[in-house]
Amino acid sequence: MIFTELRFIVIFILMAITFFAVPRHRRAMTLAVWGIVFYATFAGAWIGLVLVLTLLALFAAAPIAGMVIVGVLIAVKAMPQIVVPLGISYLAFELLHVVIERRRGKIARPPLCDLLAFAFFAPARIAGPIKRLPPFLASIQEAELSAENIWRGLLRILFGFAKKYLLADVLALTVAESSYVSSMKHAWTIVLAFALQLFFDFSAYSDIAIGFARILGIRLPENFNWPYLAANIREFWERWHITLSHWVRDYIFTPAGRALFRTRLRPYPAVIATISYLVTFAIVGAWHGLSAGFILWGVYHGLLLAAYNVIRMKVPRLSDAPWYRALAIATTFLFVTIGWVPFFLPLDKAIHMWALMFGAAR
Amino acid sequence: MKRRLVFVVAWLVIADLFVPPVLQRAEHARYESGTAFRFDNSDLFALGPMVRYLREHPRGDRRRVLFLGNSVIFGYGIDARDAIPARYEKRAGNARVFNAAINGQEMGDSYLIAKSVIDSVDALYVQLIAGQGARPILGKLIPVDDADAQRFHLERSNRVEAMLQSQLGRVWRLYGNSDRLQAAFFGTSTRQSLYLHKRELLFGRHPQPETPVHPQPPVPLFAPRSASGDQASLPPILRDLGELAVSHHKRIILIDVQHLAPAAAANFNAAYAPYAEIVIPEIPPALQYDRLHFTPDGADAVAATLLAHEAAQ
Repeated sequence: MIFTELRFIVIFILMAITFFAVPRHRRAMTLAVWGIVFYATFAGAWIGLVLVLTLLALFAAAPIAGMVIVGVLIAVKAMPQIVVPLGISYLAFELLHVVIERRRGKIARPPLCDLLAFAFFAPARIAGPIKRLPPFLASIQEAELSAENIWRGLLRILFGFAKKYLLADVLALTVAESSYVSSMKHAWTIVLAFALQLFFDFSAYSDIAIGFARILGIRLPENFNWPYLAANIREFWERWHITLSHWVRDYIFTPAGRALFRTRLRPYPAVIATISYLVTFAIVGAWHGLSAGFILWGVYHGLLLAAYNVIRMKVPRLSDAPWYRALAIATTFLFVTIGWVPFFLPLDKAIHMWALMFGAAR
Repeated sequence: MKRRLVFVVAWLVIADLFVPPVLQRAEHARYESGTAFRFDNSDLFALGPMVRYLREHPRGDRRRVLFLGNSVIFGYGIDARDAIPARYEKRAGNARVFNAAINGQEMGDSYLIAKSVIDSVDALYVQLIAGQGARPILGKLIPVDDADAQRFHLERSNRVEAMLQSQLGRVWRLYGNSDRLQAAFFGTSTRQSLYLHKRELLFGRHPQPETPVHPQPPVPLFAPRSASGDQASLPPILRDLGELAVSHHKRIILIDVQHLAPAAAANFNAAYAPYAEIVIPEIPPALQYDRLHFTPDGADAVAATLLAHEAAQ
């Protein structure tokens, strides 16, 4: 884990000292320099590729920059023999956000230092959250050195480490039993353990990133909000990997829906929503990894969201009773948990696991 | 907030003062007591701390014997107290036995571990295994020289990271000794310990009582001897182990439970006995629960045989 490596800690401490030592208008430059040092330390030669992508996002025409960034993302994910550059999936989405918003005219071309600080911001470069440029730059300017920020940042980091090492890593040992799973009870135990492990692991990384940024007085967006307490699948995606959900909503789902609305499908909003969900979540699956399992997981969530959308169109008002909400939470959790199987197992083993879970195999 | 930060720093400084005495007591209890020693769940985590302890304490309270091998020596499927090393310890009475076997271990692993601690143990029992390789992670866990790292394709720690860890570990002892503390308290990492004892922690289930030792007649042991002593015909890893024993004046017994090297055994024994020997126990199938692993009675019989062989020497 890079966050526990002393090279990262040393770079972060030097970054923090210089960040507060320089005038405010030089802060972005400080973050950019230390971010590049961090990336070169942990990703080696890939720094060149990431620098080129960042410069493209700044200087190239939007369609060219977008195509190159997406092309590079697909290429590095499609080559299993190479080690994927550190945080490339997150970086690609952050740079695409800049390219698209500039094209839409919502943000002006940022200074080079600001964009480098954004692209190479060390705490968020490892596993997100996926930032947005305007609030990030505003946060840099507003950042204050305070005991409260340091205390709250350290607590958040400690909380993240506890989640990672005492919960996620322990649950991972149960998940590792999947290589010799043999009964229905065992299969459900493993899948349940994975559902919890993934949440604790991923949210721990977000907690640690948010904590390190908080020490600098920089607020990163929250990524998780008790996702397994969601009462429906749409709410789940408003609580799980929030920054990714918002990104795909803004840059894939909504544009896709608008485009379809201008076609002959206009009288069929349910069909438009279904296609938009399927396309969006197939891409979300592929973003996690270019394998059949990830894409199947994405399509499964697309189908769940489309089905929920149809149900809500037919039944606009659902019960507010506590028992109903409890049942809805349990049902949502069950569907989400079943869906995690192809996320952590190769497709053939995932099918076997499902068969075991539902008593169709021994 | 400032007060809280100062309080936490003060607490860490005070806690750090207690690390050396706590570590000393915990390690003494772990490594010098009579409790059966084995890496819980066959996890490599505790290997590094054990090697560091043995190197820092080259003499123990009793004679030290180290067992290396794979799941056969580890005692896969049986209690730690029923594995060959624990039964050996129980029968020997005056020895502290370390079961440093790990499932899937190969001869390269055994050689590197043996080399790192040979000056801190009195005798080594190494299971003869067909695989000659070593786990790459070993390069980060125990001291190995560059030649061995290259020969066995071991991973090495980043030099800057290792230097920083070493420097910080000297100043902040809790950080520098965290793996040793975990290994001393739990016998493995905290996470493995939580995983292994989750039912006890959640439901309060207690460990099973100790299995009694059933006296078994010693298993016949085949210790081939011939006068040829042709070292050149031996596999390199066997030669290395033989040379290691001779150069350090220590006894290394290679246990060939799978009868992998009956032909090489005579040459090896002629070349390296009495420092190093290959012994081939003849195991009745009734004392094995599969074609490879021993029942508790089988492990006990092997231990009795090894002790009988030792006494005969």
